[in-house]
Amino acid sequence: MKALIQNAFKIDPGSDKRDLAKTVLILLGLMVMATILSKGIFLDLNNIINLLNQNAILILVALAQFLIILTGGIDLSVGAITAISSVVIVLFQDLGLGTAIGLAVLISMLLGMVSGVLVTYRKLPSFVVTLAMMQIIYSLSKVLCGGAAVYNTLGGGEINEKLLGFFGGSFLGIPNPILVCIAVVILISLFMRTSYGHFIYAIGGNYNTAYFSGLPVRYVKVSVYILSALISSIAAILFVSRVGMGDPNTGQWLPLDSIAAVTIGGASFSGGVGTVAGTIVGLFILSVLNNIMSLLNVPPTIQPAIKGAVILIAVYLNSRKKQS
Amino acid sequence: MNKSLNISRTLVWLGRYSAPVALVLLFIFGAAAVPNFVSERNLTAVLFQYSVIGFLALGQLLVILTGGIDLSQGSMVALTSIVTSVVMSRYGLAAGVICGLTMTTLLGVMNGLLVSRTKMPAFIVTLGMLGIARGLAMLIANAKPVPIKEAGFAVIGKGTFLGIPISALLLAAACVIIHYFLTQRRLGRYIYAVGSSEDCTILSGVNVQNVKLLVYSLSALLTAIGGLIWSARLTSGSPIGGSGYEMESIAAVVVGGGDLFGGQGTVLGTLSGVLIFGVINSMLNLAEISPFWQGTLKGILILLAVSFSLVRRPGESKR
Repeated sequence: MKALIQNAFKIDPGSDKRDLAKTVLILLGLMVMATILSKGIFLDLNNIINLLNQNAILILVALAQFLIILTGGIDLSVGAITAISSVVIVLFQDLGLGTAIGLAVLISMLLGMVSGVLVTYRKLPSFVVTLAMMQIIYSLSKVLCGGAAVYNTLGGGEINEKLLGFFGGSFLGIPNPILVCIAVVILISLFMRTSYGHFIYAIGGNYNTAYFSGLPVRYVKVSVYILSALISSIAAILFVSRVGMGDPNTGQWLPLDSIAAVTIGGASFSGGVGTVAGTIVGLFILSVLNNIMSLLNVPPTIQPAIKGAVILIAVYLNSRKKQS
Repeated sequence: MNKSLNISRTLVWLGRYSAPVALVLLFIFGAAAVPNFVSERNLTAVLFQYSVIGFLALGQLLVILTGGIDLSQGSMVALTSIVTSVVMSRYGLAAGVICGLTMTTLLGVMNGLLVSRTKMPAFIVTLGMLGIARGLAMLIANAKPVPIKEAGFAVIGKGTFLGIPISALLLAAACVIIHYFLTQRRLGRYIYAVGSSEDCTILSGVNVQNVKLLVYSLSALLTAIGGLIWSARLTSGSPIGGSGYEMESIAAVVVGGGDLFGGQGTVLGTLSGVLIFGVINSMLNLAEISPFWQGTLKGILILLAVSFSLVRRPGESKR
């Protein structure tokens, strides 16, 4: 039993425990600061649940980004995929809730596959491919719904009540969005321990070595892009449920925020380094910071500057000497 | 044997000059197929709009040549416009321009110091600076646009000389200077060397840290000049403007044959990349294509350009 518990909390492969400890320390420091500055309001259960609910979408997208960065790539299209999924989910509700969600997920995975194939088989830089895909996907979602946010289905019907009630609902006292996040985090953590997960680390660590070791490098790389798109479209379900509409312009901030979270969490742009746990901690550093700023009524005009400075400090503290 | 050599030479030539060739072909297509495309009014409008992106793309080119990236450009455009307009309203034209250029270049120097002296990736450093520059612009302007009343200042954004926009002439001058610097000066060649192989360049005794410091500072300076032209065109400073410009400048460099892994890219290619986007934008608008579809067409264009223009050096493995 003890071994089982120890195994469950063991840090993912490819991690440096000291790195993670440092990131956790930064987070704890921020949380202590938040508690003191807000005179205890920060630790209020409502505030914590609020914080988690608000960041549920970003948590999912950061995990999607994490997988791509682990292969040594970068994905600027995560927000666009969330946008097109939200539009599809709302527009095709006439076919039934399940079919609409299934269709959205399918379209997203297809778009992810296009990026993956271009990056893997044509050997194009993922930054440019996903930048172009981002423009294409945003434009396609505007074509689908005529440019403005959609509240009704194609046939003029309403959005499914169950879907709208999902975000606010709870199961065993835990709010649904938090449950979804926990489920996805656990799934991905387990997934990283399978041989497939280790392949992803291997490809990011050294693509050629992985190739010569006989790993199916191309399939794995393309499948990571598909998986990432799948997770981003799950985030879209939460989005629709939360705001009650499909928005072709949503998620513009998601790529940069998710990249910041993954990097603060200790992942490296050259690939092969990083953990799920680190990504989550990195994300909480950003979200606790946002939370402090709104609790303290920091004027929104200087919030981007403070956020930028904290990203720089956190990554600086986390960056260790690497041989280039 | 001789024939195959000729073919591969042609391919290399096409790879190197694919962007200018594509620009010429696009222009001919536009002149033939799109009404009003070749009119003085349309062409000067393209030049007015895209000379700002041109300055940003020149700076981005220098950074990308070393294998880095500069995401802070869009916010820096806003910061330059705000600092310039605020200072100008109190202390006059010259002081405004000098303060705008200095402030933004200082942030660029910070980018350069952080990228070269710490182990932080350029992406994150400039992403942080994106937030900082935007926040500073909002703070100084109190989140409101600041009007510019100096009539002389608007000349660089709106004026023409012999029918050609002055901003385009400034851009042409900057292109010539940067081209000369990159191809004829030792320091310019070091920039290519750093991007091709940083380790080899260090072992050759080049001070790589200072080369990197220089490119980020120059990128900020060129961005600041772009920001001045931008605010002169609007005759106001805006703290929220310019967002997303960095993506346009990166796309222009890449379409112009620049390699995000460093070491490849030219001024001619980059300038063609900027103009390709300008020409396509104006053609789409003149042909009355729905704005919703325009993103799809531009995205496909970027993908096509990149997959054809990237000439891989032999024996090279890339991710």
